[in-house]
Amino acid sequence: MNNFTYFQPKTLQEAGEMFGKSWHETTALAGGTDLLGLMKDDIEAPRNVVNLKSLPGLNRISYQPGKGLKIGALTSIAKIASHSDINKRYPVLAQAAKQVASPQLRNVGTIGGNICQRPRCWYFRGDFHCLRKGGDICYAVDGKNKYHCVIGGGPCFIVHPSDMAVALLALDAKLTVYSGGKNKTVAIGDFFVLPEKNVRRENILLPGEIVVDIRIQELNNNTKSGYVKFAERGVWDFAVVSVAAVIQKNGNALKKGRVVLGGVAPAPWFEKKISKKLSGLIPSEKNLDEIMKTALVDAEPLAMNEYKLPLAKNLMKRLIGELTA
Amino acid sequence: MPRKIVKSKYFFEEDFIETIGEVSTEKVKDWGPNSQLKVVGKSLSRIDGYDKVSGTAKFSFDISLPNMVYAKTLRCPLPHAKIKKIDISEAKKVPGVLAVLTYENAPKIPWYYGMSFLFDPHLRYEGDEVACIAAETEQIAVDALKLIHVEYEELPFVVDAGAAMKPGAAKVHDAGNVVRGEPQIYKRGDIEKGFKQADVVVEDTFSTQVEIHNPTEPHCSVVNWDGSRLTIWDSTQGVFSVRDAIAGYLKMPASKVRVIKKYMGGAFGSKLEAGKYTVMAALLARETGRPVRIALDRRAMNLAVGNRPGSVQKLKVGAKKDGTLTAMNHYSYGAAGAYPSGAGCSRPFRTLYKCFNVRSEEYTVFINTGRGRPFRAPGHVQGTFAFESIIDETAEKIGMDPLAFRIKNYAEVDPASNRPYTGKLLRQAYKRGAAAIGWQDRKPAGSGSGPVKTGLGVATQIWWGGGGPPAYATLKLNRDGSAHVIAGSQDLGTGTYTFIAQVAAEVLEIPMEKIQVTLGDTAVAPYCGSSGGSTTAPSVSPAVRDAAEQMKTKLISAAAAVLEIPGNQLVYKNGIISVKNKPDKKLTIANIVRRMRERVLLTTGARNANPSGYAINTFGAQFARVEVDTYTGRISVKKIVAAHDIGRVLNRKTLENQVHGGILQGLGFALIEERVMDEFTGKMLNANLYDYKMPAIYNVPEIEVIIVSEGDAKISNTGVKGIGEPAMIPTPAAIANAVYNAIGVRLKSLPITPDKVLMALQG
Repeated sequence: MNNFTYFQPKTLQEAGEMFGKSWHETTALAGGTDLLGLMKDDIEAPRNVVNLKSLPGLNRISYQPGKGLKIGALTSIAKIASHSDINKRYPVLAQAAKQVASPQLRNVGTIGGNICQRPRCWYFRGDFHCLRKGGDICYAVDGKNKYHCVIGGGPCFIVHPSDMAVALLALDAKLTVYSGGKNKTVAIGDFFVLPEKNVRRENILLPGEIVVDIRIQELNNNTKSGYVKFAERGVWDFAVVSVAAVIQKNGNALKKGRVVLGGVAPAPWFEKKISKKLSGLIPSEKNLDEIMKTALVDAEPLAMNEYKLPLAKNLMKRLIGELTA
Repeated sequence: MPRKIVKSKYFFEEDFIETIGEVSTEKVKDWGPNSQLKVVGKSLSRIDGYDKVSGTAKFSFDISLPNMVYAKTLRCPLPHAKIKKIDISEAKKVPGVLAVLTYENAPKIPWYYGMSFLFDPHLRYEGDEVACIAAETEQIAVDALKLIHVEYEELPFVVDAGAAMKPGAAKVHDAGNVVRGEPQIYKRGDIEKGFKQADVVVEDTFSTQVEIHNPTEPHCSVVNWDGSRLTIWDSTQGVFSVRDAIAGYLKMPASKVRVIKKYMGGAFGSKLEAGKYTVMAALLARETGRPVRIALDRRAMNLAVGNRPGSVQKLKVGAKKDGTLTAMNHYSYGAAGAYPSGAGCSRPFRTLYKCFNVRSEEYTVFINTGRGRPFRAPGHVQGTFAFESIIDETAEKIGMDPLAFRIKNYAEVDPASNRPYTGKLLRQAYKRGAAAIGWQDRKPAGSGSGPVKTGLGVATQIWWGGGGPPAYATLKLNRDGSAHVIAGSQDLGTGTYTFIAQVAAEVLEIPMEKIQVTLGDTAVAPYCGSSGGSTTAPSVSPAVRDAAEQMKTKLISAAAAVLEIPGNQLVYKNGIISVKNKPDKKLTIANIVRRMRERVLLTTGARNANPSGYAINTFGAQFARVEVDTYTGRISVKKIVAAHDIGRVLNRKTLENQVHGGILQGLGFALIEERVMDEFTGKMLNANLYDYKMPAIYNVPEIEVIIVSEGDAKISNTGVKGIGEPAMIPTPAAIANAVYNAIGVRLKSLPITPDKVLMALQG
C-alpha cells in the first residue's frame, strides 16, 4: 500500500473541494471494505483519501407513508437490513442487504460505498495490466471467464458486484448527487456505465461528486418485492447471478413489474422484455416458462459462462413465482 | 527396560518407510475396551483449550523477540524466466532496510534434490524466490521489495499437466517433463484374461483439481542466533526434520540447532519439510546480528508451499454378473509442479477390493507452477473419488446395490500382499453407517420429482495410519506426585498434548491436572517422527504408555525395598502403593520419592515394533445425503455419516473434531475448492481466500461419527490407529455418488460446482 494523506471533511463542500481532476489523485472512503483491499493490492494508489463518514447526517433512514423512503449514503448495510419499515415496505432492499458479504462487513460497509464498489474480476484484482487499469487487453475474453458477464460486455467483461444496486434499480431509485456546490438528482438507471462508454469507471461520478442520499418512491399496497442471490458458497460471497423483482398485482393477473439481474452484466441489468411481459400476465408455471424464452436473448456468453443463462432464467421464474403465489 | 533393535515398516504420507529402531519389548496387558478405562477414550476438552480460547497461546506466528527484524521475500511474477539483471541498490538505500539476499550474494545452497538452489537465477514458477529483505518493520521490507529492479528473460512455459505431456511442450527441466522419465507401473495377475472373464466392462475418465492447503496459520519462522547456536521457532509438522535439514543447509552440527514449535494453526502436510524462508531468515539473522521473523503472506501460501496435485484418471473395470470383480486398469497423470513430488493416486485402486487382475500406470509431470507437497491423504482423496465413482457405475450396470457390490468384493486379506490384516472391521462400518443414513430408503438415480432432488451415496476408505517406531517419550515424576511428559512429537492442533496426558493419567492413576506435557522442542525432547501420515497418536501413545508403565514398575520396586516386602505383594492404586490384604500399610508417591532421596524419577518409553507378516490399515465408510437444486445447480450436503475402524479412540471429543475437519475439507474438495490457472500467462488467478473458495460454517452438514473399533491389540500397547487422513478420504466420493443418485447424471470432474451441474442437466 502507498502512503497517503487522510482527510476528514466536515461539510460536503469541504469534501468536494478536496478532489482534483483525477480519481488517481484522491479517492473517497465510504466504509472502506473494498477500498482497503484495492489499496493493499496496489490496484488503487491514491495520494489522498477522503473519509465521507466524517460528514454529519448522512447515515439516516427516514420513511414517510405516502412519500417514500430516503436513505443517507453513509448508512450501513446492517442498518438497512434490520430497518423495520424497509423490511415491511421494501423487502427487496432488506433481503439484498441481508445477503451482502458477512455481518462484519455489513456493519462497516455503507450503501453509497456498496453501489460504488469496484469489480471483483480476478484479472482486474490480480497482477494483470488489463483494460480497466489502463492496459490494452481484457484478459477474460480468452481466459478464465466463468464469473464474467454474458450481456452488455465489451471491450471489458466484468460484472457489477453490488447486491444493493440490483435492488435499487428494481425499485427505480433516485440518487441525490452533490456536484460542485449543489445537489442534482440522478435516476439509478442512469448512474452505471457500461465499458463501451467508459472502460475505466463503473459509474458516472466525476472526481468531487458525492452520492448524498438515495430516495425510493412509496409502493402501492398490492406490490410485492423480493431479492434472490445465487452465490457459489451460499454465504460470504458475491453473486454469480441475482434477481430483484418488484411486482404489482391486480387480482389474478399482474399489473406491472420490474425485474433486474445482477451478476450477468457490467452494470445491474434491467430485464426489459421480461418486465414488459409481466403486465397482464397470469403467473402460471407454463406462462412463466413461456416468457422466460425471451429473457436475455441478446446474451453472448463467453466460453465458460453459458450456465448463467439457465441460472438467471430459473431464478427469475422462481422469484416471480414466489412473489405472485 | 526391555529393549531391542528391530526392523519395522510402515506407511508415511507417500510411501512405505522401513526403519531400524530401538523398540520396547515390554509386554503389558491389553487395555481392553474403553469402557473399562477411566481416562482414555473419554470425551475430554483439550488441556491447551484455555490457552487457545483466551488468546494466550503463542503460535510460532506470535513469537516476538526484543530487537527483532522482519524479512519479506520477492517472488517471481512469471511462470518461467531467467534473471538477466538484478539491481538491489535502490532497495538497500531505503531507511530501515538492513540486508538484502539474492542469488548474487547468498551462499549457493542446493535445494530440491540438487535440481536448484536456495536462490536460483533460473525461476520455474510464479512465486519462485528471487530476493529476501530484512528491515526494521514488515512494511519497510514490503516497500523496499518494490525497489528491487529485476530484468527477466521470459521463457516458454506450461501450466497444465496434459499439455506438458504432449510432444513439443515447453520444457520445465532439460531432461523432459515426465518425472524420472517413465511412468510408475504396478501389476498383479493378468488383466487381459480378467477382462475376458467379465460380463460387463465399464470405462470412464475422471479428473480432479489442484487443491491448496491454506492452513490458518501461515508458514513462518522466527530465528535467533546466540553465538554459534541457532534457535528456530517454526510452524512445522516435524521439529527434528527441520532441525536436521537446517543444520545440513548451514553446515553446522545438529546439536547447535534448536527447533521449537508449541502451537500450530494447521498444516495438512504442507509443513512437513524445512522451508526456504527459514534458511533465508537464518542467513539474514546472521548478517544483521538480530533475531529475524519471516512469515509468508496468503498469496505466497497459495503459490509456493505446496498443493494436492490434480489428476486425470482413466479407469476400466470388469465384473461378472454376480458382482465379482475380474480385472481393473488405471491410467493416470498429474503434475508435480516445477520440482519433484508425487502425483500418483492408484493406491486405493490397488488395495480396496479383492481383485486378482490389476494394473496401474501413473505419470507425474513437471509444469511451471508451485511444487506439490503431501496433502491430507496424498493420492487417496483423488484416487478414491475416481475409483469409488466407477465402482458405483459398475454396480449399476450389473443391477446391484452399490453397497452390496462392495461387500461382494470385500478383501479378507490385503489384495496386494496377501497378508492378513491386524484388524479389519469394515463390514461393521458399512452396516452401522447404512443404518444411520437410512440406506434402505435409497431411491433409483434421478427418480425424485420437483426441482430439488435428494440422493444418497457411499464410499469406502482405506489408509495406513498404524504408525511405528522410533518414537520415544520421557516421563518425569515429581515428589508431589505430579508428572511431566516430554516427547519430540508435535501438536498440529489435533490434540496430541491432551491424549499424552490422558495415557499417562490412565496408567499412573493421577489426575490430568497434575500432568504437564512438553512437545515440539528438539533441545529437550526425545525423538519422535514428523506428524504426518496419521501416525502421531499410533506412534507416540504406546511410547507414553511404556514410559508410564515403567514408572509404575519403578515405584512398586522402590516400595518393595522400603517396606521390605516382595513387589508381587504390592498393589498400585491411584498413586498409592499398599500391601495386599493390609490396606493400612501403604506408601504415597511422595513417601517413596523422598525415601529414594530423589526429586524427579525418570523413565523413557519407546514404541514397540509392528507385528511382522500383517497388513496394518484403517478402514471406513462414509455415507452422504445431498440435495441438488436443479434450478441453480447448488449441491447442499445435508448429512454425512462417518463410520470408521481406526483402532482405539484416545479422546472422543478430539477425534470428532478431526472427523469434522476432514469431512469439511473433503466437502471443499468435492464442491468448491480449486486452484485456477490462467493458461495464457501461466499465473494463478485465485491466490487469495476470496477467490480460492473454502467452505464456511454455513456449508457444514450434520455429521454423525461412528467408530466401530475398540483397539487393535496386535499393533501396540494402546491399539491406536490414526484418524486424521481417513476422515477426509471417502467424503468427495460419497458426495459425488450421492449427487448421481439425486439427479441421474454423473459428474466426473471435481469440484462439482453449480455451473457443471447446470450444464450437465442441460444435456
